[in-house]
Amino acid sequence: MAQHSSKGARFQAVTANRLSDGEVVYLTADNQWAETFPAADIADGAAAGEALLARALPADFELHVLEPYLFEVLQDGAHFKPASVREIIRAAGPTVRLDLGKQADAKQES
Amino acid sequence: MHKDYQLVKDGALCQDEWHYSDDETALSDAPTIISLTRLKAEAEVLRARNAKLGVRLLADGNGKTKLGEDVAELAPYLDMLSLVSIDFPTYRNGRGFSAARILREQFNFDGELRASGDVLHDQWAMMRRCGITAFELAPTVSLEVFTKAMDELSEAYQPASDDQRGALWKRHA
Amino acid sequence: MYRYDEFDHQLVGERVTQFRGQVERRVSGELSEDAFKPLRLMNGVYLQLHAYMLRVAIPYGTLSSKQLRMQAHIARKYDRGYGHFTTRQNIQFNWPALDKIPDLLEELATVEMHAIQTSGNCIRNVTADQYAGAIDNEVEDPRIISEIIRQWSTFHPEFTYLPRKFKIAVTGHDNDRAAIKLHDIGIVIKQNELGDIGYEIHVGGGQGRTPFIAKKMADFVPKAQLLAYLEAVMRVYNRLGRRDNSYKARIKIMVHETGEEEMRRLIEAEFAKIDASQMLSVPQAEADRISAYFANPAFAALPATSAAMETAQKQDADFARWVRANIVPHKQDGYAIVNISLKPIGGVPGDATDVQMEAVADLAERYSFDEIRVTHEQNLVLPHVRLDDLKTVYDELQAHELATANLGLISDTIACPGLDYCNLANARSIPLAQEISERFADLDRQYDIGELKIKISGCINACGHHHVGHIGILGVDKKGTEFYQISLGGSADENASIGTITGRAFTEETIVDAIETVVTTYKDMRQDGERFIDTYRRVGLDPFKERLYA
Ligand code: SF4
Repeated sequence: MAQHSSKGARFQAVTANRLSDGEVVYLTADNQWAETFPAADIADGAAAGEALLARALPADFELHVLEPYLFEVLQDGAHFKPASVREIIRAAGPTVRLDLGKQADAKQES
Repeated sequence: MHKDYQLVKDGALCQDEWHYSDDETALSDAPTIISLTRLKAEAEVLRARNAKLGVRLLADGNGKTKLGEDVAELAPYLDMLSLVSIDFPTYRNGRGFSAARILREQFNFDGELRASGDVLHDQWAMMRRCGITAFELAPTVSLEVFTKAMDELSEAYQPASDDQRGALWKRHA
Repeated sequence: MYRYDEFDHQLVGERVTQFRGQVERRVSGELSEDAFKPLRLMNGVYLQLHAYMLRVAIPYGTLSSKQLRMQAHIARKYDRGYGHFTTRQNIQFNWPALDKIPDLLEELATVEMHAIQTSGNCIRNVTADQYAGAIDNEVEDPRIISEIIRQWSTFHPEFTYLPRKFKIAVTGHDNDRAAIKLHDIGIVIKQNELGDIGYEIHVGGGQGRTPFIAKKMADFVPKAQLLAYLEAVMRVYNRLGRRDNSYKARIKIMVHETGEEEMRRLIEAEFAKIDASQMLSVPQAEADRISAYFANPAFAALPATSAAMETAQKQDADFARWVRANIVPHKQDGYAIVNISLKPIGGVPGDATDVQMEAVADLAERYSFDEIRVTHEQNLVLPHVRLDDLKTVYDELQAHELATANLGLISDTIACPGLDYCNLANARSIPLAQEISERFADLDRQYDIGELKIKISGCINACGHHHVGHIGILGVDKKGTEFYQISLGGSADENASIGTITGRAFTEETIVDAIETVVTTYKDMRQDGERFIDTYRRVGLDPFKERLYA
């Protein structure tokens, strides 16, 4: 799981999978779990990252999400994007089935 | 030693007449469970002791050895033992299942076999099938939950240490 | 095919009820994820990148039409309209919701299937030669003993929490299609001079981080003693196998560290004790009952050739090519073994849609005595098709994009799910398989290259069998970017070998060119009639290395 690591990253966000259906979710600024990456709260610096992850770990989240962890994100102009291929794929869906996953929902909405 | 478990023996909650002792404390006449290390070191003396003796078999080397204690090490002492407490350090470590069957089926041990340590809900019934008769359960487990778990699977495919014969044999009984 | 009796039905039913209870307790918060995870894994439920994944066991790779139709139904109702056939002859669903899985399993149980022991450190689904019962010169149908092993190993009270997972494969044929030497236990069915059936046992093969070819532990275990022998191997392993390091916990490491001789001695000593009790010899009547399920279907007496087929071959060049590539001779005159490639050019290896599964189920029902097989190379098989029906079957397959004529060729790639789905992945596997098949799309070019097995894994766990690919590709990760390592000279058959890594890894952009370089090198050097693996074994790694890193 080498792609799991976010060591040395400046910007980080927290992700997990939802208990009921495994959907990829992101921790938002108001401590909700959102289904899309742009809604994720971004921490700047290692200490902020730790604090962000700490918000994800309270026991009541156990009931809603699985295995929250930090991952690296990169600043891209005014926006952020996941750094690793793994997180890009989690945020979008399988690259071999563009009709499935979040990328497909996004298409339907637009 | 403080007991952080409740004992279920032959399907019923009961008072545990046994206690665990460390390797230093002098042994009383009460039924006592000691370590294999102590058993080996003091076997001569212990043989002369006129009280019930049990041993705890540790499945895990705790980083000191790769394997932990092997059931074969008990063979020279079986006549002294009324109980073997088989340690299941985590639910993942299933060495104790083999230890139990070897004790029952190859060493013909007929004393108490108890499971101690971290045990999962659906492992209880498997332990019973391997010849374990007593269970040290977390205080939070109710007897109803335990009893129900024991009956979740009513048949077995294979023989083990209990009297179920297994489907492959039973179909043509 | 084996049919459940009341025992099987009851046990599988009870297991579903048990799991339903566990899921309810998890969702209500009574069970923590730590407590629940081992329970869901024992029932084949993984958490992957985008969702849960359910792995359903296909015992020894045999399915009835009804069972395959159920997979189509599950794909439609609980998933996104497709399933993925794996290198362990199982099927995986990529998107089921946790709270619906008990219902799914209940429906699955109605066709005598389950997801028990498809994960966890237990004895996994037994795999076997996909041509069982159809190929000529088979000693005995491997599914008979596989079914007995399935039953013996299901909910085994002693061997459900082993040091690591445990895989058993069986073949009854000299040509090994089940990769038995790459399993924890590989079984070859043999007949001795007296005409008795017994088993040659190989122990300690495996892939993953440290690949090993299994060592032959016994030449001939008599039929009645097989379960005692297996129980002996399992007990030695459970009792003395390492648990201190999960990378060293497979039995292959134990065999390697203990030494072949000592391992044999331990097994034989335990075997003598277990066998003495006679507790594990299956009653003859029960063995007979199980073998009867695998008796020959009612084959018709037919001539060895078919005029209809020959005419069609002359008229339709595509059909002729498909016959040449995907059809294997059957033991019965007038019949053929039909391989259905799940590797269309540019497709996802091993994936089949609900509609495709239904089409294959229909064909099996009409033309193959209701039977389908799944291969570890991620294809399907109709084991008993009349030569006279081949053209009809072909046309129907063609209509569903299931008639790619590439069996055993460069585009018949094995690929694990990789980073598109898998939580453990370092790199993607599927896009690579797609690009390679597109690069070599031209079938004539593929025939010219000849037998060439490319196998791709997205991480060192080696689900895509890269160690035993003629060309193996392993995805590695460098700081969140994908790289690919090539190995050459692996093989999974009766002459099994582990491939050798060529050198430094290639980027996503250069890997397909590198594969083409390997193929060109082979073509430049091959002598008459040599397959890739023959040339490689003759010339070794160096000429390939020179060209790759020139
Ligand atoms: S080889 Fe690795 S990436 Fe591929 S399916 Fe197995 S665990 Fe996942």
